[in-house]
Amino acid sequence: METHLPAFKETNPQLEVVMELVRGQHPHLKGFYKNHNQRVVCVKNLMPEDILLHATRLRNALGRKVVKLRTRHVTKHPSVQGTWTTALKF
Amino acid sequence: MASRRCLGALTRHLRARLFSASPLENPQTLSLRSLGFTIPQRTSSDLDICHRAFRRSISIRFGGVRRCSSRPTNPSDEEEDGDDESEEEEENEERGVSSDGENGDVRASKCVVQRGKSDEEKVVEAAEIGYKVIGPLDSSENPFKLYEPFFAVVQIGSHQFKVSNGDSIFTERLKYCEVNDKLILNRVLMLGSRSQTVVGRPIVPDAAVHAVVEEHTLDATVIIFKKKRRKNYRRTKGHRQELTKLRITDIQGIDKSENVAALNSPQRITGSTEECHTCRWDYSLELARAYVHASKFNHRSKAER
Repeated sequence: METHLPAFKETNPQLEVVMELVRGQHPHLKGFYKNHNQRVVCVKNLMPEDILLHATRLRNALGRKVVKLRTRHVTKHPSVQGTWTTALKF
Repeated sequence: MASRRCLGALTRHLRARLFSASPLENPQTLSLRSLGFTIPQRTSSDLDICHRAFRRSISIRFGGVRRCSSRPTNPSDEEEDGDDESEEEEENEERGVSSDGENGDVRASKCVVQRGKSDEEKVVEAAEIGYKVIGPLDSSENPFKLYEPFFAVVQIGSHQFKVSNGDSIFTERLKYCEVNDKLILNRVLMLGSRSQTVVGRPIVPDAAVHAVVEEHTLDATVIIFKKKRRKNYRRTKGHRQELTKLRITDIQGIDKSENVAALNSPQRITGSTEECHTCRWDYSLELARAYVHASKFNHRSKAER
């Protein structure tokens, strides 16, 4: 874990990384996002590379709630040339 | 809050200094130097407070870090930088790491190893296969514009999307690009505006769609459940797909200077009605529709005659 930590910090100067020793709990990574969401990942019994992978995933993600996707394409203006109707004549 | 963080760092540093052996001096001095660099003013005033807190904390923390005396402990660093995001890591991992040292061969890391990532050229080639070109990273400029009434049909991998300015797209995980990267999607199959349509065969050359990588996430868990009845066979497996969210910022390759309010109604009665000579379908709007109609119904278009 600590072998990769300085490199992780250097690649992410915009993050604030705090290390705390908390007794009686499993080791975990906590991510605080801008939309006041928290994401907790337990890293008990993981290799340092796996912990780095989880940390990178936390960093790559927005703080959205993990919900199944409804559509892969999210848009506010679905039609440019006008929505098709049966009465439309070309 | 910041002072408490400072204190925590200093106490940990001093504690690590006590326990560590000589081979650790290099990383420690480095860390102390860095720490001293970040907090030049506070060390003198807080040091005596630290000593007192340090003595008090030794008895409490001994139980937690009992194994640290036998193994070299790494000094904990801290950086106090911008307040956008913050993460906390637990130092109890040291215990887990020590047990891993004994059974190192049994457990393998689950990380995917990138094989054969030899050249940057290969990375660019792979990006070409996925029909994207990595542009420069996002600077302090804001590439997001207002909505423009233009769309493009773009292909990424094997999926096609009809995109416009300001849309979000979820694709499969695109390698070789980080968050806040600018992408250029080469493979544009069709462009359109309110009055024009440009159909590519199969792609439109010199057309580009600019996008910015918003995030790399995992989808929600999909449970794959297999069962064979009366055979005592039941399996449950969870799967999370890796996705990339792209935000489309710009569409290039279509003429944007025309006035948008020209065409409001879809039907425009002109003097010369153009009809398909085979089926007499009326496509009096523009010639592009002739191509579309011809390709759809396999009729010879008027333009091809």
